[in-house]
Amino acid sequence: MNNWFKSGSPWVWLSAGGVSISLISVIGLLWLIASRGLSYFWPADIYQFEMTDEKGQNLTVIGEVYDRESIPTSQLVHLNLNIDKSAETIERLLIKTGNRELVSLDFRWILVPQINKTSLPEDLVVIERLTSGNFYGYIEEIILDGKVVGQDKMAELVERVSDYQAEMAVLQTSDIGAINYKIERTRLKERKHKLEGTLTTELQQEFKAEVASLKADYQVLEKELMALRDKIARDQIVVRAMDGQTVNINFADVIQITFNNKLSVLGKLGMFFSQIAAFVSDDPREANTEGGVFPAIFGTVLMVLLMTVIVSPLGVVAAIYLHEYAGNNAFTKLLRIAVINLAGVPSIVYGVFGLGFFVYMVGGSLDQLFYAETLPSPTFGTPGVMWSALTLAILTLPVVIVSTEEGLSRIPSAMRHGSLALGATKAETLWRIILPIASPAIMTGIILAIARAAGEVAPLMLVGVVKMAPNLPLDGNFPFLHLDRKFMHLGFHIYDVGFQSPNVEAARPLVYATALLLVTIIVALNMTAVTIRNRLREKYRMLEH
Amino acid sequence: MISVTPKNLSEHNVKLDLNNLSPEQVALEIKNLDLYYGDKQALQNISMSIPKGQVTAFIGPSGCGKSTLLRCINRMNDLVDICKITGQINLHGENIYDRHTDVAALRRKVGMVFQRPNPFPKSIYENVVYGLRITGENNRRVLDEAAENALRSAALWNEVKDRLHESALGLSGGQQQRLVIARAIAIEPEVLLLDEPTSALDPISTLTIEELINDLKKQFTVVIVTHNMQQAARVSDQTAFMYMGDLIEYSDTNTLFTTPMKKKTEDYITGRYG
Amino acid sequence: MDKLNIGRHISGQFNEDLQRIINHVMHMGGLVEKQLTDALTSVCDADEALAKKVLNNDYLINNAEVSIDDECTRIIAKRQPAAGDLRLVMAIVKTITDLERIGDEAGKIANVTLESLSGKHKDLLSNLDNLGRHVLTFLQATLDAFTRMDVDAAIKVHKSDDKIDREYEALMRQLMTYMMEDPRSIPQVMSVIWSARALERIGDRCQNICEYIIYFVKGKDVRHTTASDFESLS
Repeated sequence: MNNWFKSGSPWVWLSAGGVSISLISVIGLLWLIASRGLSYFWPADIYQFEMTDEKGQNLTVIGEVYDRESIPTSQLVHLNLNIDKSAETIERLLIKTGNRELVSLDFRWILVPQINKTSLPEDLVVIERLTSGNFYGYIEEIILDGKVVGQDKMAELVERVSDYQAEMAVLQTSDIGAINYKIERTRLKERKHKLEGTLTTELQQEFKAEVASLKADYQVLEKELMALRDKIARDQIVVRAMDGQTVNINFADVIQITFNNKLSVLGKLGMFFSQIAAFVSDDPREANTEGGVFPAIFGTVLMVLLMTVIVSPLGVVAAIYLHEYAGNNAFTKLLRIAVINLAGVPSIVYGVFGLGFFVYMVGGSLDQLFYAETLPSPTFGTPGVMWSALTLAILTLPVVIVSTEEGLSRIPSAMRHGSLALGATKAETLWRIILPIASPAIMTGIILAIARAAGEVAPLMLVGVVKMAPNLPLDGNFPFLHLDRKFMHLGFHIYDVGFQSPNVEAARPLVYATALLLVTIIVALNMTAVTIRNRLREKYRMLEH
Repeated sequence: MISVTPKNLSEHNVKLDLNNLSPEQVALEIKNLDLYYGDKQALQNISMSIPKGQVTAFIGPSGCGKSTLLRCINRMNDLVDICKITGQINLHGENIYDRHTDVAALRRKVGMVFQRPNPFPKSIYENVVYGLRITGENNRRVLDEAAENALRSAALWNEVKDRLHESALGLSGGQQQRLVIARAIAIEPEVLLLDEPTSALDPISTLTIEELINDLKKQFTVVIVTHNMQQAARVSDQTAFMYMGDLIEYSDTNTLFTTPMKKKTEDYITGRYG
Repeated sequence: MDKLNIGRHISGQFNEDLQRIINHVMHMGGLVEKQLTDALTSVCDADEALAKKVLNNDYLINNAEVSIDDECTRIIAKRQPAAGDLRLVMAIVKTITDLERIGDEAGKIANVTLESLSGKHKDLLSNLDNLGRHVLTFLQATLDAFTRMDVDAAIKVHKSDDKIDREYEALMRQLMTYMMEDPRSIPQVMSVIWSARALERIGDRCQNICEYIIYFVKGKDVRHTTASDFESLS
């Protein structure tokens, strides 16, 4: 036994155990969110259940099986069910029935013993709609331009409608949005002149004419949009729900029509990927519980990139000062301790700081100095993507400083001496030799900063993240990058969808899918940075010293 | 037939009178140099004249101050905070420790090569032209020419001419050290300081470097610090023996290695207990 | 021995190497001395057996020279001696060459014994014997100086070579008189002349060895210099 201890094996086992635990937790985490998240995109089978309820009535339930669980029979005794009371547990299924306009809840529990017949009818259809969620049912007829046509025209129809919808989206967001933006800017210009007292009648006329011409453009576009809407509105689809009611659905409302039960595995796979693509590229609908998360992805990535742009030079410069220029005295030591301790401050505190300092103090002053015309509605004096990036930059600054300093101190003094002996000044040596060699370490710091920043939610809730942002912070209107805008964030999206949405049950898979996406994005950002770092490392590889 | 007459034999070793060099023979003049690291005195009253166009070697046991003295010549000791220097080192009759000396300009005139090869992690070409780029030279043709000349002088051109733009770290230790020498001579210094340039190299690379040093003295004044007494004997014209911060003996190499004047020198070079 | 400082090298192996060749040189010196003594004895006593023995034993000296030479080469290759050590090795290499030559000269003297000399040349031989004794003392003094690496002794010995030269010249005049008086004795006289000549050469070689001693200790090459330079040494 003593020998066994001396041999070092316990140590090997202990360390290997530590590694396995972390490995298992990483794999487990990824497996959980991947399986739950990805199943959200897999086109589910649509079941039709014929059943008899406790009052003896026969009814049909159509929907996807969402969950199944066993409950003790005793819990159900008071319901006087006509079921076998000898069984200890009863299985029940959670069915997503959709059709929100017909029933109050689009989820319902059914007890397995009550089911008489289960089938998978091939002509059952799932209609994904812009409003009121999915519809499950049978297609009765299709109305095209007011006339009833055969079901075989449907594919053609869907395609036509989606073309119209794309056209409408362009009109709505880009063209009309741009005109609105211009009108607003003209108004602000006018106001500015008024505030400064330089508004002449001439100018006023000019602005008026401008607004008038813009409004004329707007009218044209609006008419176009209306025409399109009318065109689509003439196409309808009549569907029969599970309880026999028929419903007319406008094609304008339809996103996708699929016969899930007809699809082969390959077809389902195609659907699966197109669903993922839609999830990644679409805007959210229905209080974030439906649709995609594109604005959140965009917001997250943009904010992280902004943060990187701010924190890298700041951290590197600070580290250079601490390591190269600051004297080796008590004050420097104190600074270093302060920097390290900064990393330990809870992130929500940074949020509070960001709100108090950046948003109210700095932003408020900026507004008074440069955006007086918009007051009292604030421009920078309100949470926005720039303040979020700045707050997270302060939050991640210690990481960059510490790892850059580490990198600087690892550079052999021979490099410095070599450069100095060739007549380079200290600044030239720093710029031409030291910084390039330290760049892998700087990248390491940035990687850690990105990893930390991309996952941070709490401070952002105070300084810029919103549940639903009307515009992306980057668009085609000058100055293109709108740092004052609020933005959406995947981390906050998860919190919002998972805990704040009206239909938590429906949103659960979405939470996993979004979490998976967040992890993927952070991994992608990290991998990019790691690749860059490895390139640099290879380039500035030191010989063994 | 080679006729060996006493005349051309003696021509081979022109003996300089090191105590009475004429001003144009002197490259560097060190006068009453004292150096302290904090409270500890590392060099004591060093005075010597280093002749132009010759190789001068500093030898002595570890910690005798020979490297410290070498680093005084291009003010590398400035990098040590606690280092204090009194006395003079004159280059062209001007004291390099004068308050108005431009240290960077001084270091361009007095190049230095260190114990371990320290090429920058850049291409061979960029290593060689580094010093020129620092001075603001960016003309491609000038840089190309300077790089080729320096590499030729450092006897490295033929080995690297086809891979000038590959990383310098791919070279062998001996090649790296020659590259570092090329880098130092690319800016055409007047004095070249070599701080144990071969101590990290294998014997063959060492010989190549020694051969190179012999060629270099045609263009530069070379000062070399070495642990290896045989090396000092092989490459230098003058040798200074230092011990515990004192300059014990400074004379021409032939004399010092056959008939040293001081017992300490004799003991050191014959490997006896001090 | 302390004067040589041989025992103070950091490398004990080097100490031993140097000590060993010095011992070998002294041993060789002993051999040469013995050869010369025997050769002179054989001439005086007309002892042919002894003369033959001298001639036979010459190979010992040759062997000693070769092996010491070898060791010196090895030391130079392996230790790269400098300063005093270098001078010592160089002095030894040269000294053993001269010692070997002295051995050869002793052989030449022994040869004279074999040239059966009749009794009437007895007085000739006694003169030769006289010169021989002097040269022998001279050699002993040289070897003694070498053993102690004593510069003063070496200078003294170096100077006393003049005496041998004078004695040699006197002997030559005497021998020439013999030849003029009795031309028939010329062959015998000639062989005596060869021995005298050999003895004179031994004196010169001893003088060389003294110069090496001075070179080793003082670091000054005193070959081909004038007497006044010598004076400055002591």
